[in-house]
Amino acid sequence: MRVVIAEDAALLREGLTRLLEDRGHSVCAAVTDGDALLAAVAEFRPDVAVVDIRMPPTHTDEGLRAALALRKEFPDTGVLMFSQYIETSYTAQLLEGGAAGVGYLLKDRVANVAEFTAALERVADGGTALDPEVVSQLFRASRQRGGLATLTPRERQVLALMAEGRSNAGIAAELVVSGGAVEKHVASIFAKLGLPPGESDNRRVLAVLQYLGG
Amino acid sequence: MGEDIRRVTGTILRAPFTRRTVREMLYCGVGGLAGVAGFWIALVLLVFGLGVSASVLGTVVGLLLLTLALRVGRRLGALHRRLASWLLGYRVDAPPKFQPGTGILGRLDRRLRDRAAWRGISYSLVKLPVAAVQVYAICAAVIGLVDLTYPVDWVLFRHHSGGRLNPLIAVTTLPAGGNLKIYSWPGTLLAALTGAVSVIAASWLARAINVGDRRLVRGLLGPTTMAERVSELERTRTLAVEDAAAALRRVERDLHDGAQMRLAALAMNLGMAREKLGDDDEHADNATVRELIDAAHHNAVDALADLRDLARGIHPPALDNGLASALATLAASSAIPATVRADIEQRPAPAIETIAYFSAAELIANATKHSYANEIKIDIHTERSGVLRLEVSDDGIGGADLARGSGLAGLAQRVSTVDGRLDVSSPPGGPTIVTVELPLKA
Repeated sequence: MRVVIAEDAALLREGLTRLLEDRGHSVCAAVTDGDALLAAVAEFRPDVAVVDIRMPPTHTDEGLRAALALRKEFPDTGVLMFSQYIETSYTAQLLEGGAAGVGYLLKDRVANVAEFTAALERVADGGTALDPEVVSQLFRASRQRGGLATLTPRERQVLALMAEGRSNAGIAAELVVSGGAVEKHVASIFAKLGLPPGESDNRRVLAVLQYLGG
Repeated sequence: MGEDIRRVTGTILRAPFTRRTVREMLYCGVGGLAGVAGFWIALVLLVFGLGVSASVLGTVVGLLLLTLALRVGRRLGALHRRLASWLLGYRVDAPPKFQPGTGILGRLDRRLRDRAAWRGISYSLVKLPVAAVQVYAICAAVIGLVDLTYPVDWVLFRHHSGGRLNPLIAVTTLPAGGNLKIYSWPGTLLAALTGAVSVIAASWLARAINVGDRRLVRGLLGPTTMAERVSELERTRTLAVEDAAAALRRVERDLHDGAQMRLAALAMNLGMAREKLGDDDEHADNATVRELIDAAHHNAVDALADLRDLARGIHPPALDNGLASALATLAASSAIPATVRADIEQRPAPAIETIAYFSAAELIANATKHSYANEIKIDIHTERSGVLRLEVSDDGIGGADLARGSGLAGLAQRVSTVDGRLDVSSPPGGPTIVTVELPLKA
């Protein structure tokens, strides 16, 4: 996997580079702001870009704007936003053009190297990786509408994992149940929410988010 | 009835011996002389300014003189306000700060319409008769005291057994009273009696005239109108709100770029170390693991230091034990040797203590950065009039300017949010003395 990193804190930039290289990925460039990110992606055409949201010069949403530009100009490059905060509005903007090749993770998630690289690989392959925090925020936002009230706690768990971009097999492993059980839950969720079951993971995520987002 | 008369008489007779009288007298002396001097300064500048600008050729010079008169008027007002606060404990809020306009005409316009300055001049002019009475009161008291000594004087120095009698001359304090010539010891008793009456009368005269002076100070040297006070409060409230918001933003930024970032790096290093350890001990890459854990350890230590600094920046723990101990801690960590003298009789409100502390911290930092001083002195004390006074001085190169140093201006703004004030005295070559006055209650 070929990766470009945009992160202004040297400590994290170097740490990420090392982490990815240790796992056998190649880091084409590690830059410190949005413009340099766009230039690096144009030059190296990586599989995925890891983008910090707050970068110079304004330290506000540089990374998000660069990510949106990347999505438009280089749709083949996956974008993983990487931040200390989860902002629902950022999630919405990022997902506007579809959930394929998009990720949004808290920086905390690097603590689990295997899960983090798995998420990055998913995004590089055109999949989705949303932080559990994103999902729970969206859940909270939609709770008052009561649509989720009909789901059992187990189904809600499965829905949350689906929204993170996990496959049925991944969900089964996480919950320590059989694949068949997960399929049954998924079918039940779609039935209760009145959504036709989709074919790919992305469409599942989109369906879930469309429902959650309102 | 008889009881009342005794009580009133007692009060009248005891007056000269009270501390209050001493202060009122002191104010008569200092304030009266300052009043006389201020009157002439204001009058000369004003008359020349108006006179010269009336002539065609002298307009420019005249206007310059006039603006000078107005500047001086503001200064004189401030001086008299301070004297009243210092000696009489009579505190009047300062009028709103002068807001300079832009461009030459704009500045001139603002100066000429500076009501506080015109009122300062009015006070200086009206003060003359008041000052005359004040000076008279103090003279009467002094003469009275001298007269009181005559009986003793006679016995010690003038006790002639024969020959020519050298008369003692006692000055009466009434303007048309003339002089008493005294040829005998019993005569000196008369002089002493006049002296006693003078001293008592002078004490009451001082009090009476100072009551009038207080009125003038309040009427002419305070904030003009309720509207001006309201606009001043609105301005400082905006500053206070902005200051609080900026402080929170700063804290968030510091957390984001400091402790949070280091903890993320720490988590990452530990995650990588766990990976390296593998599932069984056989394949562990011990050297790399050790290196990663070292890095994680560094991150943890740095994050702790960041958090400690941040916490101290929000509320210094030493402040819980009062300003004196907090400032001592602050001085101990100063790069330039700093000494603290603290005399705090009444503990200020916590918000005031915090502002005083951070003012001192900022002033020490300023001195360290710009002054090339060898020594910093920090003096903090409470005053009778309910004021906390912080003075930070250094023996450096001076040249600190409220208008140029954005740090000082920011500090002045923060201080003004609680109706405090900040004054800078920093001539080129030094020394620099910055005074911060805060009310004890926010």
